[in-house]
Amino acid sequence: MIVDSAAEFDVREYLRMEMMPHFLCPGCGHGIALRALLWAIHELGIDKDQLAVVSGIGCAGRLSAYIDANTFHVTHGRPLAYATGLALARPDLHVVVITGDGDCLAIGGNHLIHACRRNLKLTCLMLNNEVYGMTGGQVSPTTSESRLTTTTPLGNAEPNFDACALAAAAGASFVGREVTHHVPKLKELIRSGLAHPGFAFIEVLCDCTEIFGRKNELGSSAEMVLRQKSDLRPSAYRDSVDTPFRSNDLPTGILAKTDRPEYGAAYRKAAAAQRASKAAKASTGANKGKA
Amino acid sequence: MSRPTASTSSAKDGQLRPTAAAAKAREPMNVLIVGVGGQGVIMVSKALASLAQSKGYQVKQSEVHGMAKRGGTVFSHVRFGPQVWSPTIPKGEADILVALEWAEGLRWLPFLKPDTGIFICDTKRIVPPFACLNRRPGAPLRYSRETPAEVRAQVAEAYAIDATRMAEELGNERAANVVLIGALSTALDFPAGDWEKSLAQFVPKKTIAVNLDAFRLGRSWIEEARTNPVVTEAPAAKAAALAHVPYSVRLEITPEWCKSCDICVKLCPERCLRLNAERIVELAQPEKCTGCRLCELLCPDFAIRVHLDSAVVAIAAAAQETKA
Repeated sequence: MIVDSAAEFDVREYLRMEMMPHFLCPGCGHGIALRALLWAIHELGIDKDQLAVVSGIGCAGRLSAYIDANTFHVTHGRPLAYATGLALARPDLHVVVITGDGDCLAIGGNHLIHACRRNLKLTCLMLNNEVYGMTGGQVSPTTSESRLTTTTPLGNAEPNFDACALAAAAGASFVGREVTHHVPKLKELIRSGLAHPGFAFIEVLCDCTEIFGRKNELGSSAEMVLRQKSDLRPSAYRDSVDTPFRSNDLPTGILAKTDRPEYGAAYRKAAAAQRASKAAKASTGANKGKA
Repeated sequence: MSRPTASTSSAKDGQLRPTAAAAKAREPMNVLIVGVGGQGVIMVSKALASLAQSKGYQVKQSEVHGMAKRGGTVFSHVRFGPQVWSPTIPKGEADILVALEWAEGLRWLPFLKPDTGIFICDTKRIVPPFACLNRRPGAPLRYSRETPAEVRAQVAEAYAIDATRMAEELGNERAANVVLIGALSTALDFPAGDWEKSLAQFVPKKTIAVNLDAFRLGRSWIEEARTNPVVTEAPAAKAAALAHVPYSVRLEITPEWCKSCDICVKLCPERCLRLNAERIVELAQPEKCTGCRLCELLCPDFAIRVHLDSAVVAIAAAAQETKA
């Protein structure tokens, strides 16, 4: 069969059925990304009780509400901060952060770079749809140049962020990117990210069909998904085929992987050493007192 | 094409090797090398041609390449002897046929000399796209169904080697063609040392060691096969049988979750889905569905679930239904 593990993976086992159907617009790529995440979790055999999903505000932030696991829907831009505390306190849990491009790079940009720097064992899934969808389609840090949004009616003049380059530069030990069109590949990427013993930053290029797609006349949901394919071709060929969806060339797959010490383990080691030396001092002090 | 019905399945002791026979008759030695583009057919023929040339023979080589590209059929005629006139081998005149792929080997079998020809073939199967036009699970492949044993019965001397697996075990699948060169070398009178020198010119420098290992492995395999004709068959037939387990496809659609985004309908490779009057997805042509799961994977609303039931389950379910 084409996808073996797909046969036994039923996404409904991992969903809060009372919350379904979800609130996302028709054709929204976030649903596909959510499936890939749950599929990767299923393949790794992670117990739902051992899974903690933290998400911020926005369309992507809402996804945690549909996952039947320990979930936290926290303040705007701060899911990484909450997740850092959670992962430090409970190193036995698999902590996954679901965040959007605005949540992660604008409101929570500061938290992102420091989470990357610390290299705490976390998986950060950033769903990039180039726009603030939930609040009505404002320009976001990843909106491509010349794209139309409600706050850039003349076309976006700001250069956009390459989130993966940013995360890698800030020191993330695992950086990857994939599009929602290639679900098995996306699942594999998330799976390696979840298995990575450090901070894993994964950018998923999602389609916002209702707001971004409509405003920029990118066609139907199906056309937008299909465009992702041409999007990944070398630019010279791509430009001759159809209008590029994103203004810059975006490589996919695992883009950076380094072997750096994990922060949580280092912290616990230091704390244990500190406790041991304190105890040793206390006992020698007590002996001196007796003598 | 005429093939002898009764033939020996392995070489007899004391039988003249074809090189010697050809030299006696002052006729050129004909070696036909065939395979699929990308396997290294041309490299095999180059190694052979340059070796024959270094031995003072006149060599003519004729090949098709370029147009076949990766994945297409590729063949190369190598003729050498005291005097060679035509660059191509006539039908039924090849002394040795070396095939890097099973079906290609069968395709060129009529070129082999009916009574003395040696057939050396990799059992690797590269199924071309036109052999699987019917994409339904369980549909039979239109690929050659002859087993190595059936072929061996029709050829004077035949060897079916699983060279690809042997090369894989050496650490580089791409050395399969050199395993076959090793096998070919036993059918010609050139010393093994000269073969190895010729090979080293044509393989990438980094892979010389693995290729020489592959050469020796192919050589020893044939010698083993000569002394002990019972050769373990490649598990290709077994794998093929497994691939043909029939499945029936069933789509479970949750209509209240469908948001009519049309992704599944437009991206289905078989175009067998459609939106009904209420703009909810439905399977319009169940017989066309192959169960590829693209609709399930790309549905943002989790409204589609594909079930692939094996035929046994499907038959049992049908029996239950008729009972009820």
